[in-house]
Amino acid sequence: MSGSIDFETRNTAQLGLLGRDYRGVHFELLCEPGDQVRAGAAVMRDARRPDILFPAPAAGRIARVVRGNRRKLVALQIEVDASGDCAEYAAPTGQDQAAQRAFMLASGSWSSLRTRPFGNIPDPATQPAAVLVTAIDSEPMAPPVATIIDAFAAEFSAAVTMLARISSAALFICHAPAYRPPFDEASGARCKAFAGGHTAGLPGRHIQALCPIGFAGAEVWHIGYQETVALGHLLLHGRPWAQRIVALSGDAVLRPRCLAVTPGAALDELLDGEVEDGPLQILAGGEVFRQPLATEPSFLGASQRLLKVIRAVAEPAADDMGALIPGDWLETNAPPGIFAVPLMRALQLGDAERARELGALELVEEDVAALSRVCVSNSNYGLLLRQVLDQLEATY
Amino acid sequence: MVFGPRGSAVGGGRRRILRIQLLALLPVTLAALVNCGYQYYQGMAFLPGFKGSDLRSRLADFLSANPQTPGLYDYLVAGVSHVLPMLLLALLVGGFWERIIAERRGRPMEPGFMLVALLFVLLLPGAAAFSHIVFGMSCAIILGKGIFGGEGKSFVNPALLGIAIVQVSYPAASALHPLWNGMAGYAGSDAIALYHRGGEEALGQVGIDAWSAFIGAIPGTLGTTSLFAIALGAGLLLVTRVISWRLLAAQFIGLLLFAGLVVAFGEPSADPRAMPVHWHLLLGSFAFGAVFIACDPVASACTNPGRWIQGFLIAGLLVLIRVVNSTHPDAVIPVLLLVSLLAPLIDHAVIAWNIRQRARRHVHGHV
Repeated sequence: MSGSIDFETRNTAQLGLLGRDYRGVHFELLCEPGDQVRAGAAVMRDARRPDILFPAPAAGRIARVVRGNRRKLVALQIEVDASGDCAEYAAPTGQDQAAQRAFMLASGSWSSLRTRPFGNIPDPATQPAAVLVTAIDSEPMAPPVATIIDAFAAEFSAAVTMLARISSAALFICHAPAYRPPFDEASGARCKAFAGGHTAGLPGRHIQALCPIGFAGAEVWHIGYQETVALGHLLLHGRPWAQRIVALSGDAVLRPRCLAVTPGAALDELLDGEVEDGPLQILAGGEVFRQPLATEPSFLGASQRLLKVIRAVAEPAADDMGALIPGDWLETNAPPGIFAVPLMRALQLGDAERARELGALELVEEDVAALSRVCVSNSNYGLLLRQVLDQLEATY
Repeated sequence: MVFGPRGSAVGGGRRRILRIQLLALLPVTLAALVNCGYQYYQGMAFLPGFKGSDLRSRLADFLSANPQTPGLYDYLVAGVSHVLPMLLLALLVGGFWERIIAERRGRPMEPGFMLVALLFVLLLPGAAAFSHIVFGMSCAIILGKGIFGGEGKSFVNPALLGIAIVQVSYPAASALHPLWNGMAGYAGSDAIALYHRGGEEALGQVGIDAWSAFIGAIPGTLGTTSLFAIALGAGLLLVTRVISWRLLAAQFIGLLLFAGLVVAFGEPSADPRAMPVHWHLLLGSFAFGAVFIACDPVASACTNPGRWIQGFLIAGLLVLIRVVNSTHPDAVIPVLLLVSLLAPLIDHAVIAWNIRQRARRHVHGHV
């Protein structure tokens, strides 16, 4: 049956929207703490591009707004109530680009698109060189993509048809060789299978293979498969999809499995009774790409599909930063077609121009996470890449 | 580790790589010990008047149980008494300079000098003069890595540099000593020189056949004689992926190819220039150099196309020098040094080519 899935459901009383999920956005609040909000109604917008809205994942009351350095928004916390009030959105009647974009903008689904280079939310006034749907997850222990898309086949297909119309560029569905997602062939979307290790699911690799950018100012947009399902849910049912499928893993998790949770669920509630006692470390992401989560406040990230909880280990005596030692293992951990060692050296030196030539614009932090893990120099290539990208973005 | 390559550097870092490299040299070192002793007694038989006068010969004679009809024990003892002092001296000199460099830079000592010392000693003949070791190791540590900023930053294998400097500095260092048997200084060497002079017949006269060359019972620089031991080490390095299989494969395929070409289109087979491919492998230090020196992850090309090019270049240049220049029958050290210096250039060319390809394939913006 389309529209439901039999993963154990976990609803939490607290939700949050995290500022760090949306790079470069200056949030403007559309509500005050204490206000009632409906699920799917906009609670924030981008001050510089006011068309881009951020909807509340569920109905409830704005509990608090957490701000960090320079009043940067850290999180917007919502206390869920039982009302279940929902904003309704009518699917666009027209087939033209403007109508499709207007629907995505009004419903807030636009904010789940990302650009390469840089990984921002795309500007609604621009045209991409291609749109990619990432229907593959190569992280070990990730939720089963095939099961989820099959359970929401109609939604997925409807969203693909819409995404194919938001621009005149090609739409690619990147998938694992073993699973070709269902979609309407008439939409003009094209399929591309990616195999080979944990880099197969990285948008950086898909872009590198399908439409390399970085020499002439082109932009590629990509969207995750669960965000695609959510968009389809809005289209078919008029109301937001109130679930995300998240995989729990890690050695401190009592029963590693997939859970259907509310988007932005509070992690302390989510993990209540799921993890061992004792000092723990909660990581967003899996084996390859992961970031330690701040203890307070911590919510499920917008595109986060993996939650890893490990027993906190005493940090090994930090080896001094050393030179990187080239080797085969670095190549196998970088997207194919990108010379790992020259790129890593360019990143270490902060040589933005060289990094751009070697393909840095197609990458974001998650693409080089594996390199940081296997390189003996203890460099954080995600951080170095972002510094280089910031330099490039200033002049892009 | 789910995603990491088998034995990847995850969680171990540089020290782990170093341990694997040292472990891979263990079979080679053992073979060197036994063969060094064996060659010592073989040489004694050729030089009946020779009375060991240096420290190492006296130590070997003192410890030997039955010098007239030596057995494995005597070989081992003679080997140890020759190799151990050299190794200790190399470690001492290397550690000394490493210490000074570390103190000047205010950084902890890097343990990599142990590998440099071992490789350096394994590339020396068993009777190399102590002064040569001091000189060579000093050059290896200071010029090979110290001035470049330490491990991972040099562009030539330090041991290779040390050996090359010793070979150039003492071209005629051939004492009348059993462990210099068949060698004219550092430049010429051992069994492969013998082949150059008289072909397989000359080898047969001193009892060298393919089997003895394979297990390593032939005169030569310490670590380079036993193809079998080298293959064991190479296996470990390949399985743990410390070295690039591409670079190694390129060198061996290249050697087969170029040496095969010389045999096929070269002069009659009696001419040592048309040395069959298997002798290229079995004699001389090609196998050792290819596995332990050329594949040094730091000092070799770091792009996959670059690795293939570098491997073929090594093999081509090696066969060329061996065939054309009879004063360098072995030629491995100069070839490796030359190609190692070229490695950054190869990478540079490969990257420039890659960038051009990418620029041609890029997508233009619509805006």
